[in-house]
Amino acid sequence: MRDPRHDNETSDLSVSPRLSVLPRLSVLRDRDSGVARRVMLGGAALGSVLAAMGGAAPAARAAGIPSHPKWRLVFVNHVTTNPFFVPTQYGIADACAAMGCDYQWTGSATSNAAEMVNAMNAAIAGKADAIAVPLVDSAAFTRPIARAMEAGIPVFAYNADADAGRLAYIGQDLFAAGQKMGARIVELVPAGKVALFISTPGQNNIQPRIDGAQDVIKKSGKPISIEVIATGATVDEELSKVKAYFIGHQDVKGMFAVDGGTTQGISEVMRESRLAAKGVHGGGFDLLPRTLTNIKDGHLDFTIDQQPYLQGYYTVMEMVTYLASGGLVGPADINTGLKFVTKDNVEPYLSTATRYEGKTDKEMIVPRGGPIRA
Amino acid sequence: MSGAREALRAEAITKRFGNVTALDGVSMRLAPGEILGVLGDNGAGKSTLMKILTGYQPPSSGQLWVGGEPVALRSVDHARALGIECVYQDLALVNGLSVYHNMFLNREKRRVFPPFMLDNPAMRRRAREILEDIGVDIPSVDLEVERLSGGQRQAVAVARAVGSNARILLLDEPLAAMGARESALIIDLILRLKAKGDLSIVMIMHNYAQTLDIADRIMLMQHGTVTYERAAAETSVAELMEIVRREYRARRGA
Amino acid sequence: MSAPDIAGGTAVRPSRLAGLLGRAVRWREFSIVVVAVLLTVYFQAVNDNFLTEANLQTLSQFIAASAIIACGEIMLLICGEIDLSAGHVFALAPFVMYFANQAGLPIWLALIVALLASSLVGLFNGLVTVKLKVPSFVTTLGTMYLLNGFTLTISHGSPVETGGSEDFANIMGASGYAEILWAFAVVAVMHFVLRQTRWGLHTIAAGGNLVGAAEAGINVAHIKVGNFMLTSVLAGFTGIIEAFRISSTDPLAGGTGIMFLAVAAGVIGGTPLAGGSGTVLGGLIGAIVLGVLRDGFTLQGINAFTFDMIIGAFILVAMISNIHMSRLQRIGRR
Repeated sequence: MRDPRHDNETSDLSVSPRLSVLPRLSVLRDRDSGVARRVMLGGAALGSVLAAMGGAAPAARAAGIPSHPKWRLVFVNHVTTNPFFVPTQYGIADACAAMGCDYQWTGSATSNAAEMVNAMNAAIAGKADAIAVPLVDSAAFTRPIARAMEAGIPVFAYNADADAGRLAYIGQDLFAAGQKMGARIVELVPAGKVALFISTPGQNNIQPRIDGAQDVIKKSGKPISIEVIATGATVDEELSKVKAYFIGHQDVKGMFAVDGGTTQGISEVMRESRLAAKGVHGGGFDLLPRTLTNIKDGHLDFTIDQQPYLQGYYTVMEMVTYLASGGLVGPADINTGLKFVTKDNVEPYLSTATRYEGKTDKEMIVPRGGPIRA
Repeated sequence: MSGAREALRAEAITKRFGNVTALDGVSMRLAPGEILGVLGDNGAGKSTLMKILTGYQPPSSGQLWVGGEPVALRSVDHARALGIECVYQDLALVNGLSVYHNMFLNREKRRVFPPFMLDNPAMRRRAREILEDIGVDIPSVDLEVERLSGGQRQAVAVARAVGSNARILLLDEPLAAMGARESALIIDLILRLKAKGDLSIVMIMHNYAQTLDIADRIMLMQHGTVTYERAAAETSVAELMEIVRREYRARRGA
Repeated sequence: MSAPDIAGGTAVRPSRLAGLLGRAVRWREFSIVVVAVLLTVYFQAVNDNFLTEANLQTLSQFIAASAIIACGEIMLLICGEIDLSAGHVFALAPFVMYFANQAGLPIWLALIVALLASSLVGLFNGLVTVKLKVPSFVTTLGTMYLLNGFTLTISHGSPVETGGSEDFANIMGASGYAEILWAFAVVAVMHFVLRQTRWGLHTIAAGGNLVGAAEAGINVAHIKVGNFMLTSVLAGFTGIIEAFRISSTDPLAGGTGIMFLAVAAGVIGGTPLAGGSGTVLGGLIGAIVLGVLRDGFTLQGINAFTFDMIIGAFILVAMISNIHMSRLQRIGRR
């Protein structure tokens, strides 16, 4: 089946063939997502008419899944209040609305593994229908996952992966993403001192990226000296740390980060000290608003979109298909891809406030026209 | 005084704090079973004398005798071991603790087994005994002291001092901030203690009339020295006041 | 000679007094127990999974950590101090145990070394507060940052897998009820210490009347430093059993979150911040109330954003009713 997503050179949206049973839902970007939603909404309208005549649960019917009890999907997260995951929550909400499920968004606000384990245990005791958790800690989740599976509750990992017995992983291939960033860094900064920032080292959702970047930079053989700096878990802390670093190392040639908050911090420092004009390069991950503005204004070179909306939406899909088919269909790893956002293609991100990027909670189909550029 | 050994005697006690001389050659004696009232205005040196007698501070020079034996008091515990107990003006009571816990503060009785465990029943019993012995009626030794009246609290503080086998009892302003009725009750208590016969009492007071009522002898201190000493029956408030006025005028004149 | 009645104030008859006093000791904890029971009834009514075996285990894990640290904080609060660094000793101790284990010590010995290290932190807190006369709030604030940086440095900011055999891990916190059993043991011991030993009595004295206690000859410096050391050891121990529970030793674990939970448990349970009195049993009940709230709402499916708002509202409601109940009790006593 043809994969309509040709618009990103670095996108690697591989979807398991099994999921093509639901063709409309296999692709969720711009136009096609709009079509899918239209179908679902239309189906919902039809379904409600049927329901009035004693038919099945409308939303479930429209999604192509027979009526089912309202499944309770628990999403545990490590930074529940971090704006990065707002689009993820919209993705979860949209998918749940489409497929007739309830969801809970819980966990820790401060990357505290013990709190996340507590949340998982509560979900197991509360007999959740499915659980999703970013496996930010390699060791802490093995036992809770085993217990959940023992109790018959499927567990999926999203955003960060580890060897902990989960059914499937939905998210970016983190090491590969890091490698791609490393390649871009080598292009931009062929020689000199480069700073790599990471908010919480050792955490599985970002450490592999910095590992990948370092891997490529070292293998390039270019005279680049790398310094790795930790910046902390909250956005305000991260900005201060980047500032402090730059003041102490004004000969740095490039500053790059592997998490959203620090990337925003770098873009602000580069704006403040007009570093782009001085030949310093910078880049990172995720689409925080200031990051995008600073890219548009030419202060930051690039950022990488992790497509958090998909991490929510696809995970719900995995859960529903697993539950609907009694565990026969799925699970499958889904790579939610990676996209470089630069000055050339940043405009639509800024000029539109869409639910898919988390900027507004309004339901919408986003218009699009003209040729598709990489 | 009589031939019996004095309970307490001090000769030429001097105490200097840097340039300031708080006590300048103070001598005093306390007969067994006697109540001595120490009078004087603020700054006369009464509290300093008290601190030296309780072992809290050493004198700069001078000598003390307890029960006829010369001593140099090393610490409060040392003074206590010799039978000298003091009831401070702030009573040193802990509000959150019961009467009997206060009475045994830092001297608590403990069980042999289990180890470390307080022997509350024994302390309760002994507290009741002591209170009864000195004629103080507290409704229950389990009450927290913050729920007692001022007079009851004073009584408990005195009972604590007496209960640890004191031979010399030093009271710092025992009637401070007390109304007429409560003062009368404390005065009764002090006289009862004297009647028991095994205690000698030194009271720091500032109310001349009350002091003459209670004490056997009085000692008037002014500016770090003893200016007048007399049996209470042989003097009067008027006479004491005159002495104080004379001294004040003399200073002003000089 | 008849004994005059010195009672100038409240006149309470001895017989009624005995009955009232018998309950006065539990008075303070009574109202918070009522609150805990009401909350449990509420959550069970809303979600019948609440009182299942699975959730009771989970609930016990929500409660244990703050209950243990609360025992230490309560002793400090009583004698007029506080320890803000407890949550960071919590994070450091498991790393000390990890490095000692890596260096070749058997895990049980490494654990003891970690507890000794924790006690040194408490010693430092105590000496600076008592000898250098720095208010404990400020001292432990400084220690908190010191420890945070130190833990991040020695761990390079990365979590590691907690060592030890499976059996050892199970006893120390991995198996379901292990943590709460440890908590009960610590609470029982500390309750005994506070109520039935000289140490507890002198702690209350040092808090209620520092000058008076010193005049009575109590070594108040000794008491305070000792309680600081006690709190740090309990905090370190709690960090270690949590590290065994989740099999991960993480520099970001604990922190100010668990410290505040512990202090809150103490205060909710009836230990005033101002000092002078306190209750360890009340601290356990306070930890239970907080655990029931956090577990109950998670079970109910409350989302993260509204979670804290709802918890905050419930804590206020619980405390207001608690305080009013206590007031009524005290009026009834008079």
